[in-house]
Amino acid sequence: MGEIVCHEEDLKPGEMMESTFGRHSIVLCRASDGHYYAFLNRCIHQGAPLSKGKLCGAPAATDEVGEYNFVKEGDILRCPWHGREFDIKNEGRMLANEKLKIRNFKVHVKNEQVIVYK
Amino acid sequence: MAQTKEQKKLHLIDTDIHERVEYEELLPYLEQPYKRYIEDCGWIQEKHMPFTQPAVAGVNRADAVVPDGRPAGSDLPFMQEQLLDAIGHDVGILTGALDPSPSSMHGWYEMAAALASAYNDWQIENWLDKDERLYGSVHIAAQDPQSAVREIERVGSHKKMIQILLPIDDKLWGDPYYHPIFEAAEKYELMIGMHHNEPPIHYGGWPRYFIEWHTLIPVAHMTMVTNMVFNGVFEKFPKLKMMMIEGGFTYVPFLMRKMDQQYRDLRHEVPWVKRMPSDIIREHICFTTQPLEEMTKKEFLQTFEQMGSDEIVSFSTDYPHWDYDSPYEALPPGLDEDLKRKLFSENARNFYPKLAHLKEEQ
Repeated sequence: MGEIVCHEEDLKPGEMMESTFGRHSIVLCRASDGHYYAFLNRCIHQGAPLSKGKLCGAPAATDEVGEYNFVKEGDILRCPWHGREFDIKNEGRMLANEKLKIRNFKVHVKNEQVIVYK
Repeated sequence: MAQTKEQKKLHLIDTDIHERVEYEELLPYLEQPYKRYIEDCGWIQEKHMPFTQPAVAGVNRADAVVPDGRPAGSDLPFMQEQLLDAIGHDVGILTGALDPSPSSMHGWYEMAAALASAYNDWQIENWLDKDERLYGSVHIAAQDPQSAVREIERVGSHKKMIQILLPIDDKLWGDPYYHPIFEAAEKYELMIGMHHNEPPIHYGGWPRYFIEWHTLIPVAHMTMVTNMVFNGVFEKFPKLKMMMIEGGFTYVPFLMRKMDQQYRDLRHEVPWVKRMPSDIIREHICFTTQPLEEMTKKEFLQTFEQMGSDEIVSFSTDYPHWDYDSPYEALPPGLDEDLKRKLFSENARNFYPKLAHLKEEQ
């Protein structure tokens, strides 16, 4: 059963907002390519509200010491407390350890409405 | 000390033995003008530490002074009698006595480079070539990386030179300054050895008392491990490994946890580090045991459990220094044979490529 959480135009690419889905506080993110992603609004580390963090990019892994290649602008959800990075386009997996991820929800856009599903 | 049946089983690779040179012994290995600066002008190594080592006989075991009065560690036959034969060493790794300590000289790099070469030649001729059990460390003048690389190329292929000792000073080894040295180390299958030295690296400079400095040696080791891992040295030089000598190992579980936690938070600052720091440590760094704190067997084993490995610690005596650890007395009693074998020989043998041949021989 889906729930409408916002209008398609409420978020621009690279923006996010706090919302609710059933009993859950969620963070709805709009990636750089315009797609929507929703996650439980709680960092897996110490429970910080992710919606208060930043949707930004991150330096990519590199073989060169001293090289910063900033990528995925608008696709990395950075926790407001300890700054842990979650890739919203990779199921919310943590960049430092891809075995760990934030809980994600399915999102569809229908008739300009953004709908979150389990 | 007579050997017992039990002692013969040790197959010990001792990862920290301090041989000592007297300056006049270096003269045949020095060219002019460097020779005359010692002979005629009385050059001596600059010193920084304000303390003495307040044990019975200073830095050395009181019973390790050579019977004819020469300093401890300066005579091979006496070292053989008191240590290598008495304990039954398979291998002893020489780490120098830091006097001279070319890399610690804050000027006159040409003299430092000449001293490093002389020391290496003296070490090879008087120790490595005279006792098949002894392996050595390459001394360099790291203040001048080009000369350091030349020295590594000169003696690094010696089959019994197994590591390079780098300076403990104000430039940490993760700095790209050291990359040419690491490149040469990889080329000659030499590992990097860190043996603490003066001056120390920690906030506050010299403490007032020796006991403070000696307690906090692991701080310098933690600084270097952290620096090497986060500066991506082991990612850039995948064959390079580092032996942390005389800092002990009981700080390692804390450091692994701390570095992993920091990595999860701050990975983006060091994107060239692509694995958990603790994984890098387990793959590239080994720690010598001495000076062992007194621990129960349970406490000892817990440390290994928290490190996630019993393959990154190697036994060391630190002979002839006053805080020597006896292979027969320093470990908690009742350890199983598998762990003792790893600590006494297997881990060091697996760490140093130039000791790998011992596997087939044993």
